[in-house]
Order: sequence, then C-alpha cells, then structure tokens
Amino acid sequence: MSAQDIILSSGTSKLAPAAQVRKKLSKVAKLFDATKCNGCKACQVSCSEWNDLRAPIGEFTGSYQNPADLSSECWTLMKFNEVTDEKDKLRWQFTHTACMHCDDPACLTACSTKDAIVKHANGIVDFDSDKCIGCGYCVTACPFDVPKLDTVDQKAYKCTMCSDRLQVGQEPSCVKSCTTGALKFGTREDMLFIADLRIKQLHEKGFTKAGLYNPQGVGGTGMMMILHDIDDPQSYGLPADPKTSLPIKLWQDVVKPLGAAGIMATVAVACLHRITVGRNLVEEDEPAAFDHSHPSKSDKE
Amino acid sequence: MHKQNMILRHKLFDRICHWFVVAVGLVTFLTGFGFFFPSFQWLGAIAGTPQMARFVHPIAGLMMCLPLMLILVRYYHHNKWEKNDLKWMFAIKDVMFENEDKIPPIGHYNPGQKVLFRTFVVTSVVLTVTGIMMWQPYFAPYFASSTIEWAILLHAVCAVIMLIFVIVHFWMATWVEGSVAGMLYGSVSRAWCKKHHPNMLNDPKLKTIKQEKH
Repeated sequence: MSAQDIILSSGTSKLAPAAQVRKKLSKVAKLFDATKCNGCKACQVSCSEWNDLRAPIGEFTGSYQNPADLSSECWTLMKFNEVTDEKDKLRWQFTHTACMHCDDPACLTACSTKDAIVKHANGIVDFDSDKCIGCGYCVTACPFDVPKLDTVDQKAYKCTMCSDRLQVGQEPSCVKSCTTGALKFGTREDMLFIADLRIKQLHEKGFTKAGLYNPQGVGGTGMMMILHDIDDPQSYGLPADPKTSLPIKLWQDVVKPLGAAGIMATVAVACLHRITVGRNLVEEDEPAAFDHSHPSKSDKE
Repeated sequence: MHKQNMILRHKLFDRICHWFVVAVGLVTFLTGFGFFFPSFQWLGAIAGTPQMARFVHPIAGLMMCLPLMLILVRYYHHNKWEKNDLKWMFAIKDVMFENEDKIPPIGHYNPGQKVLFRTFVVTSVVLTVTGIMMWQPYFAPYFASSTIEWAILLHAVCAVIMLIFVIVHFWMATWVEGSVAGMLYGSVSRAWCKKHHPNMLNDPKLKTIKQEKH
C-alpha cells in the first residue's frame, strides 16, 4: 500500500501526523458470526497457508483447540471455548481469534518505535517488521492479547487482515475459505447492515441475547462478531470492555509532555543561572600545585 | 618550593565507579530516550541500529545501576541528615546567588546533594526492578500484561526524574569549579573545602595529600 494510505503511525503525534488526505476512504471489516461457525478450522489453516506460517507442533492439553494460543507463527486461531449451560450440558462456543483491527489501537499507542505500527485508511492495523525492535510494548498493551513476539527474530507478529490480498481486491484468506458463511468481508458500513439483519433474525428465532461485539472502548473494531450472548463476551474469551489501559494513557499523554517540559525547564534554568551568577571560583590561600606562573625570587635559592 | 596541601575527597575506586557509570549511563540514556520519544530514535543510533539499541539498553542499564548502587552504599555515611541541613535548605537562595556569608556551614555533602543522593537511590532501584520486569524476551513473559504496563510507566517516570537530577548534578559540578577535578583526580584544595564544605575539615579521618611543586 502506498504511504498516503497510512493515516496513523506509531511514534508520531497530532503535532506531526501521518498523511491524512485519504482519511475518508471507506473502512473495511471482517464480520464473524459465531452462531454460524462449526469450528472446522478452515480459516486457521488458510491463514497459515496464505501467510506461510507453520507453528511448531504442540502438546495435547485436553482441548480441541490447537495450538493452545496465538503465536508469531499462528495469526488466526479457532478457539474452542467450553461452556456448560443451566442443564449442565457442555457446548462449544467458537471464536475466530485474530487481530481485531481496532479503530483506536492500543498497540499503536504503546509502540516505542516510529512507523513500526501503522493504521491504513481502510482501517487495517499493520506491523512493519523491518522497523519493529521487539520491545514487546504492543504485546502487553493489546486488550485482546493478539500480538506475539517471535522467539528467533524477536519481532512482534499478528494478523494483517491479508493486507496484501486486499491491495489487489481480494478478501482475506480466512473469509475465502470459510465453509459455513460465518466469516464475511466488506466495508464496515455493509458489515454493520448485515449484522443488524442477522441479529434481528436471531432474535426472532429465540436467541434474545444475541448481539454485535464491536467494542466502542477501542473505537470499534475492524473485526466485528455476532455472539449468541452479547452480555457475556468473556465466555468467548473476549474482554467485556477493551480499551487502551490507564498506565499507557498516563505514559503517553501525561508523562511524555510533562517530562519534556521538565527536562527543558531544568536545562533552561541551569543555563540562565550560569550566565547570570557566573563562575563559582575559589580563591586559593595557598598557590595551587598546578600554578604555572613565574616563581617569585624567594623561591630561587 | 611550595607545598600545596590537597584534601582527599574521592577514593580511586569511587572515581573509577563514577566515570564508569557516566559512560554506560550515557549509552543507557541515549537509547532509552529514543524509546521514550520515538522522534528521537536517532539518539539510540549510538548502539548501531534501533534493534541493537533495544538489545543494549537493558544491559547498559544494569551496568549503570549496579555500580551506582555500590557508590550509593559507599557514600551513605556522608549523606545522613544533620542539624544544619534544614537551615541550609532555607538559605538555598543565598547558595544559588553566592551570598557566602549567609550560607550555614555544612560537611562533606550539602543537603542539596543529599536530596540528589536519595533520588538516585530510589530511581536506580525502581529502574532496575521495573526494567527487569519489562525485559523482553527474558523476564517479561513471567509477568502479567497489566503489571508490565505499570512497570513501563514507572520506568519512564523514574528515568525522567533521574535525567533531570543528572542535569542538575552536571550543572552544579561544573558551576562549583574544582568539583570536576575532585572527581577526576580525587583531591580538592583546603580553600575549596573551606568555601563549599567547611565542616569537612573537622572530620578526624580527613586525609591530606602533600604535593610538591618544583
């Protein structure tokens, strides 16, 4: 994508923002309908195929979920959340787990490096591995626990929403391979419209708690989810109120400007003091050892 | 032939420690400043590349903080609060404007230096602890994300405070002439002591170095 498509960039502020001219381009989104997902893992496999990722074989830990978690080599994971209902009956709640492409991304806010995390005009949040230094700030900042550091090259990785495919007018590979139509892709506007229709349909069918997961704490997300029970996103492994955390906000919005002001003020006072008060010299009562002036007569024998 | 009596202020070991801390501290602060203000990433270029800066920063940081803590332990006995300290604090304006007859006499360190000492104790400990907590990939995986976020914040706050005090330290040391020479070569003149740290001359352990001038 061209540099003009980058509308938000890590390590920059509103004082010197990234290119804004294409800000009004329509935003894209992926819509995951948990009520249609059957956990076939086609999305997970096609993600690994398209992006050439092969996570190391893990160990069986008592779950169909495999691998256990997202990693630098697993950007899309089918989560098998095991839920017991009121009748003590076990059921799976599948979550298509990948980057949520937040409109106000905490990872980008926390990033320590200029341009290493960018947001494109179409809303996609992308990492530039060449610039990534591996500080791990994005890993700790993400409320969805998505970015992961690679153990070999020490860089952070996550789902790119197949930005290389989008660039040539294709949908993300996970959407392409979805077997049940649980994954859809289009403009955010269209996805919101489709989600609205589907949720109405679910309400009519008796799923009265069904709703759309598009958390506003992060400004809405580029991956929205239709859940059976919108009041309990935790049962899908999703945070109830994701947002950029308080320490990161304090760090960026308070400590940085105050710190800059404090450092500059100290230097300014020091310089002013030096110029006005001047040197603080000692009048030696004994001639100094390093005194190179001519010796007086009495010194000569 | 003159004999100049110089007074020992800093032992050789402490001087070596001090300048070692200065050297690695420079690397630590330049690289760290680049992470804090990404626009100043070029300051971290002292380490080569931004990736190397990230690798070097925690190691340089430890190499700065550990000898610093050693100096602080060795200088603790000079930095206990004394009865004249409060009076000196109230006379801070006279100190800054060199109204020398109005400055209460103090010993080896003045209360301003004692505040600096305490700041370095707190910040070096907090920077080390929080720095280890956020150190990727070795230690950070053992801590919860929410804990590391607070560690990052505290680390930045302490780094800024330490930097401000380092600037003050540099400012004062270069203002009071003879101090830098004292830290470089270890000794200061009797007149220097009388002017800046008069009670130091009452110290029974005072060591005079006799230097011969030819």
